[in-house]
Amino acid sequence: MIRRDFSERDIHMALDGELPSDERAAYDAWLDANPEMKAKSARFTADRTALRAAFAGVLDEAVPARLRKVVLGEAPVKAAVPSSRWWLAAAAAVLLVAGGLGGYLAGVDGMGQEDPAEDRLAEQAIAAHVIYAAEKRHAVEVPASDKDHLQTWLSNRIGLKLVAPDLTANGFQLVGGRLLPAGENKAAMLLYEDDKGERISLFVTAESAENAKGTYIAAQDGPEAVYWLDKGYGCAVVGSLPREQLAVVAKSAYGQLLAGLAS
Amino acid sequence: MDEKKAAILGEIPRLRRYARSLLRDRDAADDLVQDCLERALVRLDNWQTGESPRRWLFTIMHHLFIDQMRKVNRRGEAAMLPLEAGEAVAQPAEQVESIASREIIDALQAISPDRRAALVMVAIEGFSYAEAANILGVPAGTLMSRIARGREELRGLLDDTARRRAIRIVEK
Repeated sequence: MIRRDFSERDIHMALDGELPSDERAAYDAWLDANPEMKAKSARFTADRTALRAAFAGVLDEAVPARLRKVVLGEAPVKAAVPSSRWWLAAAAAVLLVAGGLGGYLAGVDGMGQEDPAEDRLAEQAIAAHVIYAAEKRHAVEVPASDKDHLQTWLSNRIGLKLVAPDLTANGFQLVGGRLLPAGENKAAMLLYEDDKGERISLFVTAESAENAKGTYIAAQDGPEAVYWLDKGYGCAVVGSLPREQLAVVAKSAYGQLLAGLAS
Repeated sequence: MDEKKAAILGEIPRLRRYARSLLRDRDAADDLVQDCLERALVRLDNWQTGESPRRWLFTIMHHLFIDQMRKVNRRGEAAMLPLEAGEAVAQPAEQVESIASREIIDALQAISPDRRAALVMVAIEGFSYAEAANILGVPAGTLMSRIARGREELRGLLDDTARRRAIRIVEK
C-alpha cells in the first residue's frame, strides 16, 4: 500500500472522486486518526448534498419554448425577447455605478485583470462612427452600388474574408464602406442607413488578441458599441439606436460576419 | 432534425441547471442559456465530431458568463446587482425552496464567480477535475484551489447564517 501524508487537499479530492482508489484505505485511516479533518470532510459532504438538492429540481422543469426554438430554428430568434437581456441588465446597472465613480474600479479576486483590447476596439469604432456617419456626401469611400469590389478590397486590406451583412430585415441598407487605421492594424468600416436616415456602422479588424471575447461597452453620451473579440478578429456595431434594438442588429450582423469569415 | 441539434437539445436541462447556479434569477439564467445556444448554432462547424456536446456547450456558456462578470466587475461593484434584482422577483410557485436550499443558494451567490463556477462544475455537474479545468480554461492546480477555497467560503457563509439565526432565537 502506498504510504503518504494526507492533507486537507485530499478531502476535496476524495469528495470529488479524484483520489486514487488504492489510496482510499490509507485516507480513511487518516480521517479516523484526525477527528478535526473527519468533521471537516463530513461538513463538506453535507454541503455538497445540499447543493445538489437545491438545484436538482431544475432538471425536471420543462424546457422553455424559447430555448427549444433557438435550436430548432423555428422562430424568428430576434423577435420577442432580446436574449441579451441578462448582460444588458448587468451592463446597465454598471453604467449607473460607473457614472458616479469615474468609470473604473479595480476588480475583485482575480476577476479584475485589465483587458484593454475590447475598450480600444470599441473606442476606435465609436470614433470612426462619430466622424463618418455624420458625413453626408463623403461618408464612404466605396458605395454599396459597387459592393463586390468593396468586399474584395476591404478583405484584402484587413486580411479577413469580409462579407457585408444583409441587415435589410432590421431595416438597414448598406451605404458603403471605407478603410481605416486601427492602432497598428487596419479596420474595415461598413456604414448602414435606415429609411429615416439613422445610421449604424460595423467596424471589423483582424484583432490579434488571442482570447479576448468581450461583449459590450457604452459611452455615456453619444453612440454605443456592441462588440465581440475572438481569436483573430474583432467586430463592433456602433449606433445611437435604443439599446435593445442595437443589440438585435448587432447579433444579426455578427452572425452573418462569422458565417462570412468561414465561407 | 439533424443529430447535432438533437444532441444540443438534450443538453438544455443541464445548461439551465448550471446557469441557475451561476445567476440566481431564473429569467436571467435562461437568457444566458439562450445566448449560449445562439452562439453554439452560429459555430456549429467548430464542434468537432466525437467531442462531447456537453463539454462544448458548457465551455461556450462559461465564457459568456465569465466575460460578462469580468466586464461588470472591472467597471464597478455591480456584479451582484443582477442577482439582487433577481431576488426581488417573486419565486414562482413550483420553485418553493426549503430554508436549507435557500441558504445554500444565497451563500453560493455570495462567493466569487470564479470559485462558484469551479465548485458547481465539479460538485453539482459532476465533471472530473480534468474536464472542468478544460472547460474553465485554467490549469488543474488553479481549479483545485478554487474548489477548495470555494468550499471553505461557502461553509463559512453558512456558519455565519446559522450563527445569526441562533442569535435571533436567543434574543426572542
